Amino acid sequence: MGITRREFLKRTAAAAAASYIGINLPAADRGQAQAADVDSWHRGTCRLCGAGCRVDLGVKNGKAVALKGVSDSRTNFGYLCMKGMLFYKIMGHPDRLKKPLYRASKKDPWKEITWDEALDIAAEKFAQAVKEYGNNSVAYYGSGQALTEETYIFQKVMRAGLQTNNVEGNPRLCMASAVGGYLTSFGADEPIGSYSNIEKATCFFIIGSNMAEAHPVIFRRVMRRKLDHKDEVKVINADPRVSPTSRIADLHLQFEPGTDLALLNAMAWVILDEKLYDEEFIKNYATFRVGKEKKEVSFEEYKKFLEDYTPEKAAQICKGNITAENIRKVARWFAKSSATMSMWTMGINQRKRGVWANNMISNLHILTGQLCKPGADSFSLTGQPNACGGVREGGGLCHILPGHRLVKKEKLRRQVEEAWGVPAGRIPPKPGYHTMAMFKAVNEGKIKAIWINCTSPAQSLPNCDLYRKGMAREDCFMVVSDIFPTKTTELANLILPTAFHFEKTGVYGCTERRSQLTRKAVNAPGEAMPEVWIVREWALRLSKKLNDPVIEQCVAPFKGLEPDYELPKAIWDEYTQKLTKGRDNDLRGATYDVLAQMPDGVQWPAPTKEFALKGGTDIKFVRGIDPMADSEAKDDKPLQFYGPAHPDKKLWIWLRPYKGPEEVPDSQYPFYLSTGRIIDHWHTSSMTGRIKELMRANPYAYVEVNPEDAKELGIKPGDMVLVESRRGKNVLPAKVYEGPVKGMVFVYWHDMDEDRMINRVTKDAFDPGSKEPEFKICACRIKKVSGPKPLKPYLVTM
Amino acid sequence: MKKISKALLMSGIAAAMIYGCTGSSSGPAKQAAVKPSGHPVLTEQEMLTPCQECHQAATPEVYEEWYNSRHGIDNVKCFQCHGTYEELKRVPDQFACAVCHSAEFQHTEEGKSCWDCHPAHKFVVHK
Repeated sequence: MGITRREFLKRTAAAAAASYIGINLPAADRGQAQAADVDSWHRGTCRLCGAGCRVDLGVKNGKAVALKGVSDSRTNFGYLCMKGMLFYKIMGHPDRLKKPLYRASKKDPWKEITWDEALDIAAEKFAQAVKEYGNNSVAYYGSGQALTEETYIFQKVMRAGLQTNNVEGNPRLCMASAVGGYLTSFGADEPIGSYSNIEKATCFFIIGSNMAEAHPVIFRRVMRRKLDHKDEVKVINADPRVSPTSRIADLHLQFEPGTDLALLNAMAWVILDEKLYDEEFIKNYATFRVGKEKKEVSFEEYKKFLEDYTPEKAAQICKGNITAENIRKVARWFAKSSATMSMWTMGINQRKRGVWANNMISNLHILTGQLCKPGADSFSLTGQPNACGGVREGGGLCHILPGHRLVKKEKLRRQVEEAWGVPAGRIPPKPGYHTMAMFKAVNEGKIKAIWINCTSPAQSLPNCDLYRKGMAREDCFMVVSDIFPTKTTELANLILPTAFHFEKTGVYGCTERRSQLTRKAVNAPGEAMPEVWIVREWALRLSKKLNDPVIEQCVAPFKGLEPDYELPKAIWDEYTQKLTKGRDNDLRGATYDVLAQMPDGVQWPAPTKEFALKGGTDIKFVRGIDPMADSEAKDDKPLQFYGPAHPDKKLWIWLRPYKGPEEVPDSQYPFYLSTGRIIDHWHTSSMTGRIKELMRANPYAYVEVNPEDAKELGIKPGDMVLVESRRGKNVLPAKVYEGPVKGMVFVYWHDMDEDRMINRVTKDAFDPGSKEPEFKICACRIKKVSGPKPLKPYLVTM
Repeated sequence: MKKISKALLMSGIAAAMIYGCTGSSSGPAKQAAVKPSGHPVLTEQEMLTPCQECHQAATPEVYEEWYNSRHGIDNVKCFQCHGTYEELKRVPDQFACAVCHSAEFQHTEEGKSCWDCHPAHKFVVHK
């Protein structure tokens, strides 16, 4: 025994008591503290979540030594979470990948090679696959953490160069259902409003989001709004799990996983029954739709459809603490408040019916007219820093081209080909594999060469063991470009070391349509290079190996440009000036020069520099605020829903039935399993796990068990518990608390230890519309396997 | 508003104590009781215990003040101001405040610390 608990507490108490002595710092020290002993500060955006916090990076002697928030930024007002204030520490970490590494067989040891050799090998393997197996035997799998310039150039070379739409990225796993929801409800992707609505809202409907941990700096704004206006502002938190977000809630609606679709329809029922809807708003701006054919139906038909969703019936479906009276209460709060803002994340998106769930939240806003006015919004929080800007807007998914264009529309393909100066017909008309289909194709041996950039699907895919088998195939050549070893580099043939944030230049577009520039401030370690350089050099080699000058044409405008600023600037200019012109994400005004002048970037649409220098569009579709609401106006009404997906330029209220999750508990697997993010870690923890403050704060994943379930199963805090599904198992320490609803367990997903990697257990069912997997719900069984055991944190190293 | 994490933290403390105190049969804990920072010496295993899990029991008043403060509700954790074990500062550098409160920091009166006006751990607007 080291020390006893009693001794430990006694000593800790004595030490803490001493900490109250001498707390005044001399003024001189305070000045020094403010300066934080740096040579210079460099403006940029946080590398981690989708909030888009602006930061200043402190540099001393060419090294990153500090971070602080930017007070005049409209996203974070200077505030940062622990990840945002500490991520500079990984930049000089000894585990950084510094040289290209290669092995012909995945069983061979790694060998350091030169960039020339690495690029030749990557080009040769992709060219060989195309020649032998066709264009669709190659694929790119990217990231919502890649810069927009990176995603754009990757997809350009893949589509127009290698003539495949096998372009995907991890945003498929997190916000594809929000894309589907926005397009089908509002006719246009991405939120209508902005964070600025938070300070004007008087009712928050937070559903399927633990924003206190996943978006802490945005949560701070909601918390502050609530605490400063305790009686005036209501907060509703709807979630099967009580989380840190619930601390500010007036009412926590806790239901069985997957039943929230019934809850949302029942809220609509109350709104209709009690005539809480905005008749004028509906008459002016909305239609009712049903089915795959998007058939228009009447208000009366919608009302009849909702008869199956009385609060009493919904309460029976939802269980937990849901009562008919609670449903009535929240529907009234939602409809009657002066301004209601809904916020959601993965609890809604990562679902078999994620698009429907998105539609049903937006239904409530359309019905009540809680849109396009200060404080009212149907607001999806995005998980990654550039899922919106790079992937949704830049053409980073298999079915979309840059500027919110659909691959399947010939006219839109032609626009892109013309902008790129490549022959008509060069972009294939058929969308490529979506993420789950792509890795299924890897499993089946259909993909012969795949490039995975800045993400770790070996850990982040649901049911990951199944897909790791494919990635381990010797006949699938795998390039992985990243900054650290991960579970995915373990399965690669070629590892390319990339520059990290602030070691290169580029734009991130955050949740609220805001694009922000981060310029290079320090050199990347070793031979790590920016992706834009890597792709350009790879494409030039590909062109030769395939004897195809069009591939060279894809990067011709960028040849010879230095990679730290001129190259990404040229790519950004091409994308914004040629491909966002006239599109709903018009970014022509947001040039690098303009972005560099703004403390917090620009919100699109921003068609001109003059408009961009004012910050861009705070609320879409409102004449006088959104310039496109004027330029695209079809009548004299103050709101103009000009989005590309709705020919009638109206908002659509959808008749969506309740449908449960793909897999529900049964006698063999009697529990629901859900997963989520913890505040101290980012995704697969390959970065945050290397910051000791963050690793110590949450060194390993655990399973949360409801006290009633724990009592029945004899599970005590710290006991090692088996969590097993039909796909795989974990053994994790237990935390017993009234978080998950009875009958449900919850596991954080960052841990890369094989015993605690929860995506070995999750299910790979996906939404038929958005193709986003249902990470949030599957069936499992649990049992105690032993008492507490000492555990070690785990990170993949080379 | 529901107070949700006490049970979680208590269970965490129990787990941390069990891991911490059984995870090592020797180590620095036996050799020195207190570091220069004033913190008890911890084993490698004990260092994997989030600060608040022990301090909920060791310094309950401080824990309660923090837990009920805006910092506590927004999950601003001990290490963000005080650092982690090796670099632990009983009295944080004021730069720890300036990381988030840069603009406010400029307004502090000469000779005063942030916590002269905003009491430590409670962080109400003004004393």
